[in-house]
Amino acid sequence: MNSQEIANLIKADVEDVKIISERCLFASSDKKRFMKIIQSLKSSGVSHISTITAVDNGKSIELIYHFDCKPAMLNLKIFLPLEDISIPTIIELFPGAVLYERDVAEMMGVKIEGRPSMDRLFLPEDWPQGNYPLRKKKEEKPT
Amino acid sequence: MTLVIPVGPQHPALKEPGFFKFEAKGEEITKVDFYLGYAHRGIEETFARRNYKHNIYLSERVCGICNICHSSCYTQAVEKLAGIDPPERAKYIRALIAEFERIHNHFLWLGVAAHQIGFDTLFMLAMRDREIVMDMREMISGNRVHSATNTIGGVRRDVTPEQVPKLLKGLDKLEKAMDYYLNLFQSDRTIIARCSNVGVLKKEDAIKYCAVGPVARASGVETDLRKEDPAGIYSKLSFDVITEKDGDVLARGMVRLREVMESIKMSRQILREIPGGPLRVPVELKIPPNEAIQRVEAPRGELLYYVRSNGTENPERVRIRTPSYATWSSFSTMMVGGTVAEIPIVIWSIDPCFSCTDRVTLVDAKTGKAKVYTLEELGRRHK
Repeated sequence: MNSQEIANLIKADVEDVKIISERCLFASSDKKRFMKIIQSLKSSGVSHISTITAVDNGKSIELIYHFDCKPAMLNLKIFLPLEDISIPTIIELFPGAVLYERDVAEMMGVKIEGRPSMDRLFLPEDWPQGNYPLRKKKEEKPT
Repeated sequence: MTLVIPVGPQHPALKEPGFFKFEAKGEEITKVDFYLGYAHRGIEETFARRNYKHNIYLSERVCGICNICHSSCYTQAVEKLAGIDPPERAKYIRALIAEFERIHNHFLWLGVAAHQIGFDTLFMLAMRDREIVMDMREMISGNRVHSATNTIGGVRRDVTPEQVPKLLKGLDKLEKAMDYYLNLFQSDRTIIARCSNVGVLKKEDAIKYCAVGPVARASGVETDLRKEDPAGIYSKLSFDVITEKDGDVLARGMVRLREVMESIKMSRQILREIPGGPLRVPVELKIPPNEAIQRVEAPRGELLYYVRSNGTENPERVRIRTPSYATWSSFSTMMVGGTVAEIPIVIWSIDPCFSCTDRVTLVDAKTGKAKVYTLEELGRRHK
């Protein structure tokens, strides 16, 4: 699918779609409509998830799911408020995301709903619980 | 009786160690688990603390073998952010050195694969012939491995007219050598016995677990970003996407060896068609808030960079997804059902950015007794 076809497919469930080129587009949505978008992508034959990027923008955590829709790349952004950083798992539909979910969970503290036990992937076993290395550090006050 | 076989994590000579836990019933592997991150250096966070120019240097240090792919992916992402189009000549030079990188990576793979199956003569021959392409890289960039060719807005070094005949001569030598290895790989009894029908990844599993690069292509998935999402001048180059049907270690090897032939063909085309002109355009380092994604076909498959700018000289966030990381999801499928003796060659067949099988402890799950095996002992077929 090219960018325009993907935009048509998901436009009902996303807030804004930014088509960069024929092979690249960005779209953003929220947690409520997330699974619906994932299901419609899967049923349209998309099978490759390249990765999940997590970004801490200070106000919320952005999860960016990069789907390769052959040839277009869909970058689907989901904004998660800091009070509730959780997202349903997608490994039932996209088993390739199995490591990327563990990655964003331990690096950014995103709670993946539906995957109760997630062992450490990159961080040492004695790394303190609740310390997420890619979160923005609160600026220290000058003494 | 089930044996738990920890493999890894440390190998002092290699960059990225990893840890695997195999469970085996007799000789047959029944379960695989792994733990990565022994070489986690926090590079994504470090990217956000340095400016765009310093980060070129950093991106090349993500992986030594495919440093050009990383810097080329990173610089192209930043060029997209800043809205810069590098000169045509620069794009050709980038593609040329990237193809040289693929050639040397696959020769290295061939050598180490031969070593893993105990065929050390082939290891030495492959490493000898790899030197041809290393010399060619040195001729262009001044360095064998870290060539530091790419910069934001173009490339730093030119290919001079005097170098072209030497490079073409080198390509001829490489083609002759690879032709020999291709024949050998298809006919040698040792290679076929150790690689055929071993570590099989079926096509549906390759698609399901989002395998990339030669691993996916060996399972019959026709995926190559140079064709699907061509960056730079790849849309102008003529080449075939190499696929195999069987999905075993032999197929993964064949894909890589045949790809070398395609890379040689592409390098010749680049040297024939390279236009004149400047090497780079000036760049303003303060990039307004924007975001960009770039993918390139690295020797091991899809490499992805996501870069977000914030108006300063430093990026806000850089996300890197290396091809080795993408391949781990399908790893269990390849291993389960295989035997302990196959572990080294199957791990190596996915060409991971690390090899950590040199220190293996076999633990008897019932008695708790452990014995440390070397890679060589493990590589031998058990009688």
